[in-house]
Amino acid sequence: MPEDQDIISFQGVTVRYGRVTALEDVTFNIPCGSSTAVLGGNGAGKSTLLRAVMGWQRLAAGEIRIGDEHPHHARPRLAYVPQRHSVDWDFPITVRGVVEQGRYPALRLFRRLAKSDHDQVNAAMEELGIAHLADRQIRMLSGGQQQRVFLARAVAQGGDIFLLDEPFAGLDLFGSEELTHILRGWAVQGRTVLAAVHDLGIARSCFTRGVLLKTRLVAVGLIDDVLSPINIDSAYRGGRCVHEGHTHAAGHGEARP
Amino acid sequence: MNLHALLISPFSYEFMRRALFSAVLLGVSGGLIGCVLVLRRLALMGDALSHSLLPGVAAAWYFFGTSTTALFFGGLAAGLLTALGSALLSRMTRVKEDAAFGSLFIVFFAAGVALVSKLPSRINLADFLFGNVLGVSAGELRLATAVSVLTVLVFVLFYRSVLLETFDPVFHRATGGRGGLVHMGFLTLTVLNLVAAMQTMGIVLALGLFLLPAVSAYLWCDRFLTMLLLSVAFAVVDSALGIVLSFHAGLASGAAIVLCLGVVFVVSALFSPRHGALGALKLGTERRPAA
Repeated sequence: MPEDQDIISFQGVTVRYGRVTALEDVTFNIPCGSSTAVLGGNGAGKSTLLRAVMGWQRLAAGEIRIGDEHPHHARPRLAYVPQRHSVDWDFPITVRGVVEQGRYPALRLFRRLAKSDHDQVNAAMEELGIAHLADRQIRMLSGGQQQRVFLARAVAQGGDIFLLDEPFAGLDLFGSEELTHILRGWAVQGRTVLAAVHDLGIARSCFTRGVLLKTRLVAVGLIDDVLSPINIDSAYRGGRCVHEGHTHAAGHGEARP
Repeated sequence: MNLHALLISPFSYEFMRRALFSAVLLGVSGGLIGCVLVLRRLALMGDALSHSLLPGVAAAWYFFGTSTTALFFGGLAAGLLTALGSALLSRMTRVKEDAAFGSLFIVFFAAGVALVSKLPSRINLADFLFGNVLGVSAGELRLATAVSVLTVLVFVLFYRSVLLETFDPVFHRATGGRGGLVHMGFLTLTVLNLVAAMQTMGIVLALGLFLLPAVSAYLWCDRFLTMLLLSVAFAVVDSALGIVLSFHAGLASGAAIVLCLGVVFVVSALFSPRHGALGALKLGTERRPAA
């Protein structure tokens, strides 16, 4: 078992938006150094879970600890990668400009980027294979390259826990394969990845562990155990919310037993 | 008419110098504010905000006369009331924020027009709406200076926060940024600039000084800092040109400045090699790849 230092623990976590309960009494641990897919249908609480780890969400009950710290105090360890379509890619900024943003939180007011910051930015761009695109405006990139810019910015932050909100959304086949390759590499390096994922096939091929949600915790553990037919059925089709179950059964071939 | 008579002699008048300084100073801050308005797609909201200042200014005039301080706080109160009011309205009712803003500002504007029509006849509604260079008092020039300096300071000191909040608010928040604070601060700064620009630009046209240079710069630049600087340059040069034009042609100063900026905008939209209309035609491709 990993030491306390090296787990993200959820203890009876409950989140409510007004009268709607987004997460209810969720308890599990994630060992650091693993790559975990957060799975579930729309409204199952995937994004809410990530937001809670970031400390954005007031918990109605329960507690989240990162190592032995509250999420607010663990912020330097956390790197958040927003959904790709959440920004305007016409924005007048270059690839290097975006990756440099990863260093902003570490900078004091009035301080400029130091040589060590530039080194980290360059190293991150090298690692993600976008160094040759550094001076491009970000619209001039493919979807996969745009995703790698976001990942490079997260790497430049220098944290060890990566939270990815739907990183595969909108990527074509080639882009998905590229991203799968990168995330597998990260898992080997011992980086902790927690990603909200829609596609069960991608989850199987890309992540070693899974958390399956349907407001409550359905299953947690190794990805193949989590994505057993029974678990999938109860997460995507079972329960009271019939109308949601239908949508998802239609959207995911794998959801059918 | 020689160059001296064209460009220099108008400024032998005190009021022309004041108008020039005021327009140029507000060009600097307006050029900066405009970039954020354009990039965050708040252009129409800014327009609504500027119209909503009228009742505050008119009421201040009604009760306190031409005191700059009173006009300033009147406009400020009306602007903030609209911004906060529509934010509240959209949270607490079914109405979405754009509709809330649109409804509130038009009611405010109507109230303003009604108030102005009840003011003593020596006050001209057109001056309120379209600007009058003759109107810039020493007090108003001081106000323009203060607002401009404040705006530049905010952009210099909080450049990184402004950039992050404009480009990627979610990431800004994830790195511990106070997004709500930055946004409210920005709205307040916008209102301050609008109020300060009211004398030379007029309420209806003030936003032109913010928006047009920024949109024009947006068509030329692929870097945020370059866009800010180019936008300021457009705003400053065209403000000065507009003041000169308004002197010689006897035009409302706001209209003259906006027309000068309009020329730059149309030229940019047509001829910018990478983002302009003609460039796109020449390439024979649609500029925007499918998402």
